Amino acid sequence: MKSVRHLALALCAWAALPLAHAQAPAGYPSDYAALVAAAKQEGKVRIYAATDTAAANPLIKDFEALYPGVKVEYSDMNTTELYNRVISEKAAGGTSGDVFWSSSMDLQIKLVNDGFALTYKSPEASKLPDWAVWRNEGYGTTYEPIVFIYNKRLLKPEEVPQSHGDLAKVLAANPERFKGKLTSYDIEKSGVGFLLITQDASLNPAFWDMAKAIGAASPRFQSSSGTMMERVGSGENLLGFNLIGSYALQRAKKDPGIGVVMPKDYTLVMSRIMFITKTAQNPNAAKLWLDYILSRRGQTVIANQSGLGSIRADVEGELTAHGLARTLGNALKPIQVGPGLLTYLDQAKRLEFIKQWQQTAAARK
Amino acid sequence: MSSVAATVPAAAGGFPGRQWSRGMVISLTALAVLAPILLILYQSLLDAPFFDQAAKPGFGAYRFIFDDPDFWSAAKNSCFIAVGMALIAVPLGAALAFLMVRTDLPGQRWLEPLLLIPVFVSPMVLSFGYVVAAGPVGFYSVWFSDLFGGVPWNVYSLTSIAVIAGLTHVPHVYLYASAALKNLGSDVEEAARMSGASPLRVALDVSLPMVMPALLYSAVLVFFLGFEIFGLALVLGDPEGHLVLATYLYKLTNKLGTPSYHLMAAVAVCIIAVTVPLVMLQRHLMKNAAKYVSVKGKAGRQRPLPLGAWRWLAAALIAGWLVVTVLVPLSGIALRSVVNYWGEGVSLVDVLTLDHFRTVFGQPALMRGIWNTVLIGTIGGGLAVICYTAIGLATHRQPDGWSRFVDYLVLVPRAVPGLLAGLAFLWVFLFIPFLSPLRSTIFAVWLAYTVVWLAYGLRLVSSSLLQVGAELEEAARSAGASRARTSRDVTLPLIRHGLLASWLLVFMIFEREYSTAVYLLNPGTEVIGSLLVSLWATGGADMVAALSVINVVLVAVGLGVALRFGVKLHD
Repeated sequence: MKSVRHLALALCAWAALPLAHAQAPAGYPSDYAALVAAAKQEGKVRIYAATDTAAANPLIKDFEALYPGVKVEYSDMNTTELYNRVISEKAAGGTSGDVFWSSSMDLQIKLVNDGFALTYKSPEASKLPDWAVWRNEGYGTTYEPIVFIYNKRLLKPEEVPQSHGDLAKVLAANPERFKGKLTSYDIEKSGVGFLLITQDASLNPAFWDMAKAIGAASPRFQSSSGTMMERVGSGENLLGFNLIGSYALQRAKKDPGIGVVMPKDYTLVMSRIMFITKTAQNPNAAKLWLDYILSRRGQTVIANQSGLGSIRADVEGELTAHGLARTLGNALKPIQVGPGLLTYLDQAKRLEFIKQWQQTAAARK
Repeated sequence: MSSVAATVPAAAGGFPGRQWSRGMVISLTALAVLAPILLILYQSLLDAPFFDQAAKPGFGAYRFIFDDPDFWSAAKNSCFIAVGMALIAVPLGAALAFLMVRTDLPGQRWLEPLLLIPVFVSPMVLSFGYVVAAGPVGFYSVWFSDLFGGVPWNVYSLTSIAVIAGLTHVPHVYLYASAALKNLGSDVEEAARMSGASPLRVALDVSLPMVMPALLYSAVLVFFLGFEIFGLALVLGDPEGHLVLATYLYKLTNKLGTPSYHLMAAVAVCIIAVTVPLVMLQRHLMKNAAKYVSVKGKAGRQRPLPLGAWRWLAAALIAGWLVVTVLVPLSGIALRSVVNYWGEGVSLVDVLTLDHFRTVFGQPALMRGIWNTVLIGTIGGGLAVICYTAIGLATHRQPDGWSRFVDYLVLVPRAVPGLLAGLAFLWVFLFIPFLSPLRSTIFAVWLAYTVVWLAYGLRLVSSSLLQVGAELEEAARSAGASRARTSRDVTLPLIRHGLLASWLLVFMIFEREYSTAVYLLNPGTEVIGSLLVSLWATGGADMVAALSVINVVLVAVGLGVALRFGVKLHD
């Protein structure tokens, strides 16, 4: 009986081989076919992600078409839930995700740093910019500029700030007009918002002057980008800063009232970090998924169907590292994937920054 | 009468079979409630996640929150909202119940489902509806200010939050009060009316005092809910910086970068500490519950009270409340679900679309969420009521220490904000070995819902139980029936309306619950509530609007069916 099963397995593996060979893209190691076969044996990959299903669906469909037999189990949750789930499940020792994918770059690097990630050198790694790979564990997967948004119906073209310096100037010139009509992340409630503002603080020499101008406008801080876009779109707020460009551009396509500006002095670029877990139950399928996401094929889907922006230089399109570099050049400032992200996870430093920000930029009551 | 009631438990003492099942029910309840609560208490006394090897005991978490001025401002705001809610919801809910159950108010049949709509919709969505409809550039605000040159209200103020919360909790009081009033014989009211009392007088001096236990229970529960208010405060209070305890707790999730469980747990313990004196107060008020027994062996049929000229005032009261609480936010959300964008200077006719609904129906995860929501409301709701009834019967007319214990016990979970309760349940399912295979099934969601809403369901069941005259059960027991038989053949049939109303309430609550399931969300266990939260966070306002309209329609259909069923049972 046992031998029959062995024979059947061997036959299957043999039958799958030529197919697998055909699928392994050029430049991949010769034993990649074995990885594909092992992944098919596992049959599925469990992904915990803070990227909404609508954006991930084209990737999932394409991946399942490329590797039939490997099913994607995709759980969509917000960044905080993701972190909570990951650390509790690890402590309990039960089943967890195989791949974690989140826009909360600092928490992802913390997880990598705390030993959650599997070391795996993706054959695609050489195609990524240096800043996007850390220790062959955490991989930046997307290229998402951080933008201003404004209400096109209510804001005159000359009032639209084109840079961070402009933002401070526009606000200072007309504090009454913008009173209660400026929006951004509440940095106490949103980890992404905190990350972005601290990046601003280190890149912008006039940061605290800008913060003062922001505070004078009695800003309305929100915990999610959805709320900000909804309120700028409706005209309740006029202007928003530090929004994730991929969301804003998608929204602007549907709502012609929303305008998007990539600041000319510097545009931060965020990248969703992905890593495979050390305790993954489907490690081979997980590797396959990571390689696919980083591959040219996957990145093309990311840029053109998911609207998240490709990190690879060899993918064409408007929302890609390549396309953006043409218009913004050196103004693009990608956030480095690495331990620098951990600075403000130190409690005292973080509270200190929050306090200073609140005193300068929070709405006057 | 009270002496009769007191003799029944004494007679029951000699039935070990029943005592055994009673012990079983009580211990299961205690386990389901206390496991997550003790976990939270334990967590609040550590300085790191309880499963972290490096966690050390201490009071650091309490020190942190007591030093934080935000905590005190949040506590003050929560008190303001809770008091405001109770002051608004209890009188209005009682008045509504009286008008709907005891009078000849026209159109009661079609009015009843409308009254319950505020309960259907998650507060998150309701507040979103208010922003769209009555916010600074909302549909109605723009029309209003075109006509009168300005709007006198500000939906983002603390007072608005309290008023909206109060108005949306009227149905909770209404359900408790009307369930009790339905079991009340109308002879006393008729006597008062014949002696020349006006309908208002009858309501204030006769009917409502008779249902005092239900009103007190609902007042305490509404007050509780005031401390639990999350969605409303998050959407409406955030932009102007009005924190309440639940949003303060939510803020702690990210304030230190990594989730600070110990701080969150400490806030939850503070909220629980507020509710315990409330339960004591409630028990004190309830000591003489037996004097409210009103369905007696010879209870006559209920006859509605003629309102006469008062009916116009009553109709205006109900219409006004419905417009503010139902029409304004729901028309807002409905309108939002069929337009691409909105706001100042947008002509809505140009942006009409059905795309949002098409997208919802095209996504398997969202469709699964809709289906699961239906299941958890109907079947899950029914199972929950069965559990609540078992607990209710286990403490019914047995005023001993165990019953008091259960009384305190059931009110505790409601005091924990849903988000944290969900997290505690995730821990329970993770760290209790025999439960872990169930974590990624809908059972986990159901158990969390059932425990979180224990107080609601049980109060409804037990205020019906209180209305059953002891002499009816006594008669059955004298004729030789066992306790179990008495419950089955006498008590349960008498409270079937209460149970039906309870199922209805639980169904609606399960449909709209949004925060508890967030941490238990897995592929296959999606429910609309948790999907709304996750879509809201990623900016899917279109989907949120469409999905909430679908939610409201689903519940409306379910409720319509249930009401027809209920009405037939009644006749």
